[in-house]
Amino acid sequence: MYCVKCGVRLTDGTERCPLCATPVWIPKNADIPKANYAYSSVYPKKKDNERFPAAIFLTIALAVVSIVCLIFCLRTYGAIRWSGYVMSGIAALYIIAVLPMWFRHPNPVVFVPISFIAVSAFLLYVCLYNRGDWFLSFAFPVVMLLGILTTAAVSLFRYVKGGKLFIIGGLLAALGASSMLIEYFEHITFGTKMFSWSLYSMSTFFLFGLFLILAGIIQSLREWLERRSFL
Amino acid sequence: MSKFWLRLDNAALIFPAVKRPGWCNVFRQSVSLREDIDPALLQEAANDLKPRFPSLYVRLRTGIFWYYLEEIRGPLTVGQDFAYPLTHMATKELHTCCLRILYYRNRIAVEFFHALTDGTGGMIFLKTLAARYIALKYGIDIPALDGILDIGQQPQPEEIEDSFLRYSGQHAMSRSEPNSYRLKGTHEKDGVRHLITGVLPTDKLVEVAHSYHATVTVFLVAVMAQVITEMQAKHAPNRRPKPVKITVPVNLRRLYGSKTLRNFVLTLNPGVDPQLGAFTLDDLCNGISAQLSAEAMPQIMAARIAANVIPQQLAILRIMPLFIKNLFLRMVYAYVGETKGCLNISNLGVVKLPEPMRPYVERMEFIIGVQYTYPNNCSVVSLGNATYVNMIRNIRETELEQRFFSRLVELGVPVTIESKLRGD
Repeated sequence: MYCVKCGVRLTDGTERCPLCATPVWIPKNADIPKANYAYSSVYPKKKDNERFPAAIFLTIALAVVSIVCLIFCLRTYGAIRWSGYVMSGIAALYIIAVLPMWFRHPNPVVFVPISFIAVSAFLLYVCLYNRGDWFLSFAFPVVMLLGILTTAAVSLFRYVKGGKLFIIGGLLAALGASSMLIEYFEHITFGTKMFSWSLYSMSTFFLFGLFLILAGIIQSLREWLERRSFL
Repeated sequence: MSKFWLRLDNAALIFPAVKRPGWCNVFRQSVSLREDIDPALLQEAANDLKPRFPSLYVRLRTGIFWYYLEEIRGPLTVGQDFAYPLTHMATKELHTCCLRILYYRNRIAVEFFHALTDGTGGMIFLKTLAARYIALKYGIDIPALDGILDIGQQPQPEEIEDSFLRYSGQHAMSRSEPNSYRLKGTHEKDGVRHLITGVLPTDKLVEVAHSYHATVTVFLVAVMAQVITEMQAKHAPNRRPKPVKITVPVNLRRLYGSKTLRNFVLTLNPGVDPQLGAFTLDDLCNGISAQLSAEAMPQIMAARIAANVIPQQLAILRIMPLFIKNLFLRMVYAYVGETKGCLNISNLGVVKLPEPMRPYVERMEFIIGVQYTYPNNCSVVSLGNATYVNMIRNIRETELEQRFFSRLVELGVPVTIESKLRGD
C-alpha cells in the first residue's frame, strides 16, 4: 500500500502514513495483518531514588558530629557553648542539603523557602546567644527578602513556560531594587551611611536586567545571546 | 592484576565533556537474522569477544585532568531492546559500561557511547559479534574477512591507537566557517526518539545518483540540502536566508590506511548559500561533490586533525583541572560542534559479509542519535540491494522526513517507509 500524499510505499498494516499522518485506505473485509513493529513495548525503567544511601550516610555523619561536639563541649565547660553554633549550623545545613535527598522529586518551590527559614533560625540563635539586637531589624528582613526573590525565581522557572529572559531580567531588576532595601536595613541597624554602595549594585543589576528584557523582545539579539551563552 | 585502561582519543575528548542529563552522543548498529535470537548464545558470543575488543568493553572514568576508559568489571550483560532506539545512557550507566548489546526478536543491536568508537569501528564489532553468534548457533565456520576479526588473535596495537595523534599535520587549519540554518520543532519532553526508516532499492538509488554524476552520499546530501532550503524559505520568509549545510563524517581510515577501532573520523559541512540564488539539484550535486573532493585530501585532513590535536597537547590545557577543561570544551562545542550544520548524514556505505554468513543475515541498520541542539539526524547503510535511510528526531514534526522521502520518490527512487509512532 502507498501513501496518496507522499507517494511512499508503506509496510502492510500501517494505519496512517508516518510522514504526513494521512490515513491509509484499507478496503472493508480486507485481510491485512497488523503491522509488525520493529521495536519492543518496553520503555526504560524509571529510576528509584538513587540519593537514599547518601541521605542515610549524611544523616548519620552529621548526627555523630553534633553529638561528639555536644559531649566535648559539656565535658569541657559544663554547658552548651560553641557546640550550640555547631549544632544549629548542622541543623540548618541538614535542612538545606540533606532533607530534599529523602524525596524522589523534591519540589524546590517548597524546599527553597524552608531553607531560608532554616538560615533565619540559625541567625536568630546566634543573635540571642550573643544578646544582639540585629536580628529583627537586619538579618530577618534581609534573609526573608532574598528568600522571597529566590522562591519567586524557582517558581517562575518551574511553572511558567517560555519567557525565561523576561523572568531573569525582571528578577535582576528586583534584586537591584532590593539592594537599596538591604542598605536601608543596614543603615537603621548599624547606623551606616545611606547610598554608599546600593546605587552601584542597583544600577548594575538594573542594566543587566534591562539588557535581558530587550533580548527577550528583539529576536536577533536573543538568538545571538543563546548561541554565545550555550554551555 | 592491573586493569586495562585507555586515554580518550582526540575526537572522543569532547563527548563526556558535553553530555547532559538527558542527552549524550550515542549511535546504534543492528543486524537482523533469519531466526529469533537466543539470549544465552548472544551472551556467550559477547563474552567471547571481550579479549579481542579491549577498547570497547570499557567504562568511563573521571580523572583529575582527563576522562579515561577503564576495562569493565565482569562480563557485559546483554539485555532486551527498548521501545525506541538509543534510550538515554545516563552518566551512571557510562560509569558502568559505555556499550550496550541488546536483542529483540531476530535482531541484535549494539549501542555505543561515541567516545569508544565511530561507525566503522562499531560495524567491525557488530559483524564480529554476529559472526560469533551464528558460529555458536549453527556450528559453521565464518572466515575473518570483510571486516570480521579473528577472535582467537590478540588485539593489535594499531587497533587501539589514537590515529589522530599519528596522522596529525604540523599546521592547523582554521575551523572558522559561517553558521548554518537551524532546524526547529516541538521537543518531546520525555526524551523519546522517533525513528522513520526509508528502505530504498540500492540499484535504483545508485542509478538515479549517477544520472546526476554524483555518489549516493553526495546525492542524498544534495536532496537534503534542497528540501531544507525550501523549509527555510517557508518558515523564515522575511529573514536573510542562512547557509544550508549538512555535516558529513569522513572515514579517515581510507585516507591514511589506519586500522584503528577507535574514533578516526572528521566531519565536513558541504552545503549551499541560498542568498546566492536558486540552485537546481544538478547544481547542488556538482557543488557538494566539489566541496567534498576539495576537502577530503590527506594533506587538508591532516591540517584539520592538527586543529584538534594541537590544543590537546598544550601544556596549559593539560594541567587544567577537568571541570575547567569541561567548561572550555563545552564552549568549543557550542561554537564549532553544532552550529555549522543543519543535521548529519552519516553513510556507512555497503556492508560486506563473508559468503558463509550471508544466508543468515536479513538486514543491517545504523542509527545515529540526535545532537543536543539540532533535532534531526540521518544515517544510511546498505546491505545487498536494500539501502536503509534512518531518520531520527526528538521533535514531533515530521516535515523534514516527509519532504525528503517524497522528493526521493519524485526523483524516481521508490521508498518504503517503516516507523513506530508514539502510541502505536
